[in-house]
Amino acid sequence: MARGFIFILSLIFLTDLIDTIGQLILKRSINSLDFHIDSFTKAFKLVVQLLKIPRVWFGFILSGVSLVVWLFVLTRAELGFAFSLDSMRYILIALASAFFLKEKIVPIRWLGIFCVILGIVLVAAGQH
Amino acid sequence: MSKKKQVTLKIFAALALTDLLETFAQFCFKKSAISAELLKISFFGAGLEFVGMLVRSPFLWLGLFSVFVIFVLWCAILSEIDLSVAVPVASISYITIPLVSVIFLGEKISLMQWSGISFILFGIILVSLSTKTSEEL
Repeated sequence: MARGFIFILSLIFLTDLIDTIGQLILKRSINSLDFHIDSFTKAFKLVVQLLKIPRVWFGFILSGVSLVVWLFVLTRAELGFAFSLDSMRYILIALASAFFLKEKIVPIRWLGIFCVILGIVLVAAGQH
Repeated sequence: MSKKKQVTLKIFAALALTDLLETFAQFCFKKSAISAELLKISFFGAGLEFVGMLVRSPFLWLGLFSVFVIFVLWCAILSEIDLSVAVPVASISYITIPLVSVIFLGEKISLMQWSGISFILFGIILVSLSTKTSEEL
């Protein structure tokens, strides 16, 4: 039981870590393009520009790997359990945004992030 | 260096739409995973076989199409706001799904879940407000 728990926990951590790296790559690429979106057409143009950047494709590969791991987790773990643990992604994203994107995370944002995590754990744990 | 744009109603609506599509995609992926589960895979070397089963499920492809639309929307959102804001605020679905289940499906929500929903809502408000304070500081 405990071994199964650690196994699933590490797999969920792995998907969250891979997703975070993917998001970092995407956000960095978008920041470098400096687009201003005001319509769906413009959003499409942004995506076309992004597709010309090789590391964005690397990000897609990461998403694919993450998806396969996540689907595997879903076959092994209960949905509520999996989603509770998956909320650790918010911490990874926040830390990565602060360190690699130099986003300033004010205390009120940290508080908000922890409220979201606590809320997701409660929603997931409250399922019967 | 990073843009500190506020979460406007338009951006919030875009986030809600990605969430809606994300829910749909998750449903499709779960469906495809259930069909592949019948395979009862052993841990070693069965990964390829697992992927093979998934690829044959139409739900997987429907889910992947939603993912493409989500991607376009998500890029637009990220061009406007911080990543550390977009990701937590995108958790609106944890509120909307239970509410929809109650209103349209007649499902019951436990007290624990209601408190969870309140925490998420409160958290989203705080994170959205944090874009305001960081700009005013």
